[in-house]
Amino acid sequence: MNFEQVIGLEVHCELKTHSKMFSSSPVSFGEEPNTMVNEIDMSMPGTMPSVNKRAVEYAIRVCHALHMDIDELLCFDRKNYYYADLPKGFQITQNRRPIGKNGYLDIEVDGQKHHIAIERLHMEEDTCKQFHFADYSLLDYNRAGIPLIEIVTYPSIRNGAQAAAYLEKLRQILLYTDVSDAKMEEGSMRCDVNISIRPCGSEEFGKRTEIKNLNSISNVQKAIEYEALRQEKVLLHGDEVLQETRRYDETLKKTVAMRAKGDAVDYKYYCEPNILPIRISHQWVMQIKEDLPMLADERAQKYINEYGISTIDANILVASKDISDFFEETISYCQEYQLVCHWLLGDVQAYLNKENITINETELTPEYLGKIITFIQNETISSKQAKKVFAELMHTGKDPEKIIEEKGMKQISDPDTLSVMIHEVLDNNEQSIHDYKAGKDRAVGYLVGQIMKKTNSQANPKLTHELLIKLLKERISDE
Amino acid sequence: MITYSIEELHQLFKTKRLDPKTYYDDLFKEVDFQQKRLNAFVTITKDKCYEDLNKADFHSLLSGIPYVLKDNYNTKGILTTASSKMLADYVPVYDAHVVDLLYNAGSCLVGKASLDELAMGGTNKSALTGPVFNPWDSTRIAGGSSGGSAAAVASGLVPFALGSDTGDSIRKPAGYCGVVGFKPTWGRISRYGVIPYASSLDTLGAFTRNVRDMCIVTEAIAGRDERDMTSSIKPVPHYLNHLTDDISNLKIAVLTSVSNEIRNPDIKANFNEVVKTFKKLGATVENVTMPRELMRTLLPTYTIIANSEATSNHSCLDGIKYGDRQEGTSTDEVMINSRTDGFGDLVKRRFILGNLALATENQERMFRKAQRVRRLIVEEMNKIYEDYDIILTPNCGSIAPKIDEANDDRLSDEYLILENHLCLGNFAGTPSLSLPSGFVDGMPIAVNIMGRLFAEQTILNCAYALEKALGFANQYSREG
Repeated sequence: MNFEQVIGLEVHCELKTHSKMFSSSPVSFGEEPNTMVNEIDMSMPGTMPSVNKRAVEYAIRVCHALHMDIDELLCFDRKNYYYADLPKGFQITQNRRPIGKNGYLDIEVDGQKHHIAIERLHMEEDTCKQFHFADYSLLDYNRAGIPLIEIVTYPSIRNGAQAAAYLEKLRQILLYTDVSDAKMEEGSMRCDVNISIRPCGSEEFGKRTEIKNLNSISNVQKAIEYEALRQEKVLLHGDEVLQETRRYDETLKKTVAMRAKGDAVDYKYYCEPNILPIRISHQWVMQIKEDLPMLADERAQKYINEYGISTIDANILVASKDISDFFEETISYCQEYQLVCHWLLGDVQAYLNKENITINETELTPEYLGKIITFIQNETISSKQAKKVFAELMHTGKDPEKIIEEKGMKQISDPDTLSVMIHEVLDNNEQSIHDYKAGKDRAVGYLVGQIMKKTNSQANPKLTHELLIKLLKERISDE
Repeated sequence: MITYSIEELHQLFKTKRLDPKTYYDDLFKEVDFQQKRLNAFVTITKDKCYEDLNKADFHSLLSGIPYVLKDNYNTKGILTTASSKMLADYVPVYDAHVVDLLYNAGSCLVGKASLDELAMGGTNKSALTGPVFNPWDSTRIAGGSSGGSAAAVASGLVPFALGSDTGDSIRKPAGYCGVVGFKPTWGRISRYGVIPYASSLDTLGAFTRNVRDMCIVTEAIAGRDERDMTSSIKPVPHYLNHLTDDISNLKIAVLTSVSNEIRNPDIKANFNEVVKTFKKLGATVENVTMPRELMRTLLPTYTIIANSEATSNHSCLDGIKYGDRQEGTSTDEVMINSRTDGFGDLVKRRFILGNLALATENQERMFRKAQRVRRLIVEEMNKIYEDYDIILTPNCGSIAPKIDEANDDRLSDEYLILENHLCLGNFAGTPSLSLPSGFVDGMPIAVNIMGRLFAEQTILNCAYALEKALGFANQYSREG
């Protein structure tokens, strides 16, 4: 029997607002535990929530990018449950009326397009972080109250590869709308998977499991692939799939049962009485749409159509927002679009790979990269020299102009100066002139080498070659 | 020690006819004496009070004036227990918004007053520190939940005290203790920093011994606070400047659905006297009713909404971050053991009730139904407010009960309606003031004056006129 997978994804994403969802304490990562905290985050009795307007704006941005209907009456609800990491004993979320509904994201897997329908996007707040030890646990409230958006798809995903492509695309949107760091490894983007299988052609849903604890997109794909197979084996064995929560064990490369559905909590949702429904202005919603930053696909189209960059290169450029941003800034200094692209995807990327860092962590600035390329273009330095300048720049952070000057790299491109030097070389290499006359082309290469040696590699190679041929011909005809 | 109103005390301090230090030294002697008699305080904040006094310049009306806070107001560095074992050792790191306001006004905090545990109750008998005794008769309750605040004002210790009111927790004890109790419009005063009961009903307010003082205090604590999104941006009027006893243009509705339930002939006579007085003062006074079946739903509707909200409002009290922590082998067990140990039986019963009403399988027919009934009740009230400025009722059907007789478990119509109708003001969020109207069996009784949303001034004017006509301003009892 052939089975079809039915998959829905729930993605939580931390917003990088200045302050928390319902309090004025700062959102900041990597700080000392429990320092980015006020009485509201710790749910001291008597505290009350105030909605962060910026977080609402960010949520609306993502709603727009996902083509969603936006609810202009903002309502919050309480989700009641007891857990040590939940300071209030309830989480403020949006249950009845999510801010965004009915969106979609188009993805491509192996050249085939898929339409992923999105059910809802709602706003809520993060819990605090738990650290468990042998006989005690510690809590860090820095994370408590950081704004979250949760994006829930319909069960419209059919395999692990589609899920991974959806997550890649969604992550790109979260980055390009500039609302989140969206790092799965660090937990600023988290994904839960709901998965069931059913005989191909069946309209009924099978019993589903939920998979948690997925810390990378590739693990999501692996977990789905493992779980689909596991469920298939269970069904073929004549057993029933249990409705349960499982987690992905990275070392075992397996999904492992966490808790059964019977343990499910009744969240007793009801409207948050301390936040009356807020009417958000249609004008503001539209303004946010208008101000929406250009997304990856749009940028790629612009690179292809306006800058003449190949489709492949354009897609690689936009795959990382850091690189794409760097590209955009560099071309404000130097309009050699393709050269800038080649440098970024070539030498720069190689360096980043080697050092395992991101472009913003290097000494390179768009201005410096622009300078290097401009110097190549106006033949101040050769391509070969440019590589040396680049290496020096990455090492020291010095202005390329200064490096060229200090290292005496400036090319000799003055024909008169070069001619004098070439004549000197020719005078000392009578044999090579004879060889050239006899049709031995490698004599030219030898002579160029001699000129380079003499000029400390500063001779403009193209011009040197041209002048050398011209002067050789003159000498031969003089004889 | 002589008891003064805010205005009198202000004049005496300002003109240096009364030495503040001497006054406060005498005051704390009397506080110690009254505490033994009334058990009104959880904490007497003598040191803090003298610090506040050092800062006072006596220029503005509240500068240098002593006051008391209900012990559910967060006070930075000062024990705030909400009269619960759960918070018996809780010292807040922040001040409630109105505490900030009064600090900046230069008022001097004398103490934190007892309440029913977590403000849940009407007798003050569930307080961790035990019952508060009525200043007029210490065999009787002061009422609740703001019993300590009411007793502190009614014994003449301080000219004003703050309380909180979810169903009638300011107005009921005010009536039992013979002082003025005012619950303004929901949203008029920021609730930030006051340990809640039920957020959609909770309103802060004051106890004073006369209406003029009530104007001063209410104006001082009202206004928008960015930390309470439900606080109103409407400007706060100068209640005292606009105060008038001319109520000839007022239309007063006597809600007979409530007053007809009075069984005590003396209270009935007193209420009729009040109605007559209003007529004499030139107001238009007419009888109105609300559907009886709706009036009978007041208590169940209130019980379901208040306890449902309370159960999640108090979920933060889990022993993890602060408060009473009992050990356990897991965090779940710590929370269960802490909450089992930290709350009294009445509170636990209300939490269970709230959880029952919110459970997904019950929510539609309990919590949401109660919310719909609440709306029906408010619609009925709004119909009355189309034609009338004021709804007048007795404050309740009896004098303050004896301590061992007071309980919350009665289901007669007299009790269902006459002892619970003050929550009308909480359902509608409308302002409601209880004013002393006389004595029965040596105990004070009161009437209640309700008005439209943000019509605080109308209510204060109406109360001012009645207060002048009846002559029960500035009363207090130091013995009995």
